[in-house]
Order: sequence, then C-alpha cells, then structure tokens
Amino acid sequence: MARYGFVIDLKRCYGCYTCQVVCKAANHTPKGIDWARCVQAETGSFPSTLRQMLPMVCMQCAEPACLEVCPTGATQQDENGIVTVDQDLCMGCKYCMMACPYGSRQVVDAWETYFPDAEGALDPYEAYARKKWDEKYGSGVATKCDYCMDRVKQGLQPACVEACPSKARTFGDLDDPESEISILIRREGGFQLNPEFGTDPSCYYLPVR
Amino acid sequence: MLILKAQTKWRWIIAGYLFLAGLGAGAYITGVVAGFLGDEWAQLSKIGVALGFPCVAVGCGLLIFDLGRPLNFWRAAMRPNTSWMARGTIIISTFMVLGAIHIAFWIWPFGGLSAGARAVIGMLGIVFAFSTMVYTGILLGAARPIAFWSTALLPVLFFISAASTGVMAVILTASLMGVPHSGAITTLARADIILLILEVFAVAMYFQATHRVPEGRESARLVLRGQVAPLFWLGFALLGLVIPLALEVVGVFALHDGGAATAAIVASISGIIGGLILRQVVLSGGIHAPLRAGRFEFGLPII
Repeated sequence: MARYGFVIDLKRCYGCYTCQVVCKAANHTPKGIDWARCVQAETGSFPSTLRQMLPMVCMQCAEPACLEVCPTGATQQDENGIVTVDQDLCMGCKYCMMACPYGSRQVVDAWETYFPDAEGALDPYEAYARKKWDEKYGSGVATKCDYCMDRVKQGLQPACVEACPSKARTFGDLDDPESEISILIRREGGFQLNPEFGTDPSCYYLPVR
Repeated sequence: MLILKAQTKWRWIIAGYLFLAGLGAGAYITGVVAGFLGDEWAQLSKIGVALGFPCVAVGCGLLIFDLGRPLNFWRAAMRPNTSWMARGTIIISTFMVLGAIHIAFWIWPFGGLSAGARAVIGMLGIVFAFSTMVYTGILLGAARPIAFWSTALLPVLFFISAASTGVMAVILTASLMGVPHSGAITTLARADIILLILEVFAVAMYFQATHRVPEGRESARLVLRGQVAPLFWLGFALLGLVIPLALEVVGVFALHDGGAATAAIVASISGIIGGLILRQVVLSGGIHAPLRAGRFEFGLPII
C-alpha cells in the first residue's frame, strides 16, 4: 500500500523532450499518443519575456475526474493510487478525455505508421512496437500513463524518471513522509496543477525560481 | 502567448446524437400533451408519440457508431452512481422502451389500449422524455475543465431547443401529411414561437455566462467571432432562430391553408437543421482550462 506520486522540478527542466521520447520507447505508444508530454508557455512582453516548460505525466489523482465519468467501470484505481483502464471493458466513448483537466487520457482511433511513405512491410522495430501495443491496448480505447507499473514492480524507476538528464523528475511514495518526494514537496513548496478541479493530483511541481 | 485549442474528439456524430435524442423526446412530449387536449388534437398526438422512439433510437445508433469499441456499448449503464453517461443510458433506454410500448399498443399494430392505460404510459414517458432532454446538456456539463459546457444554462438551452425542434418535427410531419392548417396545428406553431423566443434569451444568457474564465472567453470568441462563427451565425442564428421565427409569425398571423402549410414546412426544416447545428457549435467550442503553474499558463495540447 502506497500512494505513488511524482515531483517535477520546473526550474530543472530545460525542455529536451527526453521524457516524451523515452516514454514512447518504453511503452510502444503509437503516433498521436504521448503519456509523458512536455508543453511550453511564454509570459511577459518583449523584451522581458520568459519561456517555461511543463513536463507532464498522468497525475494519478486521488479523486480522478476520469474515474467519476467512466460509465462502464473500465477505469479503476488500484491500492497504490494508480488509475488504470481495463481495455476489455472500455467502450471508447472518450468521456474521460473531456473530463480530465490534464489531457492524460488519449485514444488512438486507428494505429498509424510513422513512415507512411516507406514501401512494403513495416520495419521490424515498428512492427514489434505495433504488436506490443495491440497486445496491451489497441485502437479505440482510452489509454493512459500508469507510472510504468511493470518497471516499478521489477524495482526500476519509471522510464521518464530514469532518463531525465536534468533530474527534474522524482518518483516515490506520497504516503511516506520520509520519502524523497515528500521531503521535496515540504522543503521546496511543491504544488499541484489546477487544484480548483478538486482532483487532488499525486503529481506535484516545484516552483519556477 | 496563450493558445487554447478546442477538443476534436466529439464532433458531428455526437452532435447528431444529442440533437436526435432531444428532438425525439420533445416530439414525444408534444404528442402526449396533445393527447390530453381533445379530439381535435388526436392526429397530432399520434404523430408526436410516433416520432419519439424512432428518432431517439437513431440517435443512440449514432452514439454507438461513434464508440471506439461499439460492441462494449451495453456496459455503459454500469456506473449510475457516478457517471452521467451511465445515468443517461438508463434514462434513454427507459424512454425508448416506454416510447416503443406506447407506439405498439396505440398506433400500430394493436390500437386497442384504453385511454387510461395510455395516460399512465404517457405520464411515465413524459418524465423520462424530460430527463432525456435535460440530460443531453448535463452530459456535457459534467466535463468540469471545459467551462463552455460546465454551466447550468446548457441543460436549459438544450431543453428549450429540444422542445422547439420536437414541436417543429410534429408540425413538419403533420404538414407533409396534409393535416389542414387551422386550430390545433396553428396553436402548436404559436407555442413554438414562444419556445423560439425563449431560446433566443437562453442562448444570450448562455454566452453571457462564459466570461468568467479565460477558456470560457476563448470558447465564446471562437464561436462568435472565430472559426466556428459562420456555423453559429448562419447555421444556428439564421437557420435555427430567425427564419423559423419569422416564417411562423407570418404563417400564424397572415397566411391561411396552403400558404400557411408551406411556411410551416420551410420554417420547421430550417429550425430542425438549426437545432443540429446548435449541438455541433457547442461541441466545437469546447476548450479545456489552461494549466497554471505560478505566472505561467499552459494550453493543453490538442485532444
């Protein structure tokens, strides 16, 4: 029993998109699906402007909006707070995509190759990725980040955490007050995104300097 | 600069579902109420009741067609305690069963149901038809990050539009079947004039309610002055409100018989198309709230 969570340090991220790419590699996500995304924003007016990256994962909310609206019971929350979708129960209504404030729910309507101009069969790597994707998820159903639970169960870190070159991402247990993420949140003033939606996200951000 | 983009996953097919569910339920209520008004209304009553079930059923067919996994659609009623889609599925299914029973035992093939039994089915049916009309607005309203949908005025707007398109569907069918334009059908047209005027107020209030948050303002801008504006002004404001309102006023107060019937047919077709476009306009204006971190606001990538 734990409450798995993330801490993402906004002043460390420099926007290299490694998390986004390594997530695709680790989870074989097809074109159009990015569970670990980086989005950017600008503020101020010329010449005093600032640009900031926002690296994202699923927030694994304690009160998930996607779980509330899911009509089929496909969305479930496990004992570690991870929100999952049962692909056999999902009917692909996309209501969760409308209800999630963080864009964490993604659907691929039809699997697409990254190389539409290539002739002949898929190259072996893409064919492998497609096979793995179709085994676990497939088209037409809601999919989402699960903090790489397969890796975590083997004692590894989520792929995006392990790969982040600036160490902006930290993974851990929010229920344990002595875990690294709990200490970071306390010491550096960690905050949740858009708390006004009442979802109580398990992903915290450390403020920009 | 903050760029907010509208959702792209719910489009015309879902608009068709929301529209047909509302129209069918509105026509059904019109039919049941007409049934209580005396012999002069008998034919209109049958038309309204007969339109209810098939329209809603076709709408549900559209919804199922739009699913990623249509074969799992029957699971949709599994979580009525939390999900509005599950509650809606139960409401609409119940309505369709009642509507089908009403048709089967009154219009075709039996025709022998007593007036008392009809009234009981009708009253039950009205409750579920009303719920269906309101539900189409609540369904969208439960998506809290989308301020354009998450307002108590959307169920009101959709309810009025559903009632109006339902009445117009009855008028249209009756006119095409050659029901003479006097008495009952003119009264129905007068009722629709009131509904259309209410709809004008409802849509004005609906946009007034969008201004509180940036994503709501962006939705209103997109719909009133941006990419969706032609659809809104020509499709909804002109086809859905101005033309039917003008033609019905002229038809009721200035024309008789054949002229009134032609005006009613054109007005109804125009208004019904406008009702569909209203649903699509609302869907294509659905913009998620930006994510806020300190002084930065991040637009959500397209979903």
